[in-house]
Amino acid sequence: MTQTIVIARYNPEQDEKPHHEAYQVQSDDNTSVLDALQQVQQQDPGLSFRWSCRMAICGSCGVMVNGVPKLGCQTFLRDYPAGLVITPLSNFAVEKDLIVNMEPFLEHLSAIKPWLINTAEGTQPHVQTPKQLAKYQQFANCINCGLCYSACPQFGLNPEFRGPAALALAHRYNLDSRDQGKAQRMPELNAKNGVWTCTFVGFCSEVCPKKVDPAAAINQGKVESAKDMIVSVLKPSGAR
Amino acid sequence: MNNGTKQPKRSDEPIWWALFSAGGVCFAVVIPGSLLSLAVLYPLGLISAEMLSYERVHHMVFEAFFGLGGLAFVGAAICLPLFHAVHRIHHGLHDLQWAHGPVAKVICYGAAILLSAIALGLWFF
Amino acid sequence: MSSQQNGRRPYLPPFRRDWWLQLRFYRLYMLREATVLPLLFFVGWLIYGLYSLGQGPMQWQHWLEFMAKPWVFVLNLLTLAASLFHAKTFFELFPRVMPLAPPGLMIAGQWLGTVVVAIGLIVLLGGYV
Ligand code: SF4
Ligand code: FES
Repeated sequence: MTQTIVIARYNPEQDEKPHHEAYQVQSDDNTSVLDALQQVQQQDPGLSFRWSCRMAICGSCGVMVNGVPKLGCQTFLRDYPAGLVITPLSNFAVEKDLIVNMEPFLEHLSAIKPWLINTAEGTQPHVQTPKQLAKYQQFANCINCGLCYSACPQFGLNPEFRGPAALALAHRYNLDSRDQGKAQRMPELNAKNGVWTCTFVGFCSEVCPKKVDPAAAINQGKVESAKDMIVSVLKPSGAR
Repeated sequence: MNNGTKQPKRSDEPIWWALFSAGGVCFAVVIPGSLLSLAVLYPLGLISAEMLSYERVHHMVFEAFFGLGGLAFVGAAICLPLFHAVHRIHHGLHDLQWAHGPVAKVICYGAAILLSAIALGLWFF
Repeated sequence: MSSQQNGRRPYLPPFRRDWWLQLRFYRLYMLREATVLPLLFFVGWLIYGLYSLGQGPMQWQHWLEFMAKPWVFVLNLLTLAASLFHAKTFFELFPRVMPLAPPGLMIAGQWLGTVVVAIGLIVLLGGYV
């Protein structure tokens, strides 16, 4: 059947600001938002959007559908009988059409040092029991799609906020038995723009396509940060 | 990597968040029963006025167990809920973009500290 | 901000002041945060009660009469509803902040606490001992 979809268009070389345009697409039960965008691209090759894997793995096809952040490849037209309005991810600057500048997100990610920090010498592999793995596994499923940043009003209000995915990743490495970098990450978490900007709105966890529950991770981070503060008071020479 | 050396300042939020959390527990666990008994069942006559007589309540709050029951009630039904409330108001002002910054913060938490001190003073004297 | 040279002109729409009205999820969040407004009234009544109790039997009687006034009663009913909504949201968040036991168990345990305290207060104040 034919369905109408509305897409936000913005051409930085011509437009003052984005505007909405309606398009007709052919859809059946299997038509995803990404499929529909590609159909529109047939009509108008100028339409810009990101995608790659088409299977909710690469995390590049995030858009807002009726104001809610979604992966285009995992969202289906059949679920929107009343129609859909597709706009670029909120809280990021639009470069063109549905493409946003993810640079701020990537900066926040790298600021919390999302890698194993381990000074142990030698070539032995780091052994980890299933129980130790289970501690952080949920928080390791992030695909860096950034949907949680578009869902987070605190990030919208304060772009300096490290944000859901970055703080969840920090928690993920802090919980990893092979990692020794917690002391290096805590100062970022302890800061106002670390875990303490979060007010547990919780919409990040709602929209996360990988069920990472970043809101839980951030709030577990608050507990860690509070403990860290007590420790710093008890031994003032330690991490400041 | 390159910003690894300069460390951001530690926030004082853990203090307010701890009080907020404790107050949230009180709001959820102690306040419903307090409301139900004092503000619903009593006005409906299901808890009689004699049972809330001056002598009886005065004894419960100020004399029984050296007044420790009264102190616990002041802490759990007045002071901690106050800190819970002002914390949410402080963040709510930021959410609504009405106010943020040190003035709002001092007014919010200052009010909780002042009213808590008054409540504790009323219990003590 | 923008670099005209390379043709980039990123557009960042201003963050909406009424963001919290846009989605049901946000409206429920604001409702949760707003439960503290009626709470403030009840805390006020309690401070007033504590003051009255310290002043003597006459003033205590005034407070009892105040608590029975219709508008105070209605406001208190609203506060009771707010406290229960707060309790529901707070109890559900707690297991995510401190995963100490299966979430269902933690939520049930917290509700049990609320019920036990309520029964305890009613028994104590109502003199049912
Ligand atoms: S936490 Fe979830 S929503 Fe956020 S970037 Fe990772 S996968 Fe996407
Ligand atoms: S195209 Fe890769 S996640 Fe959608």
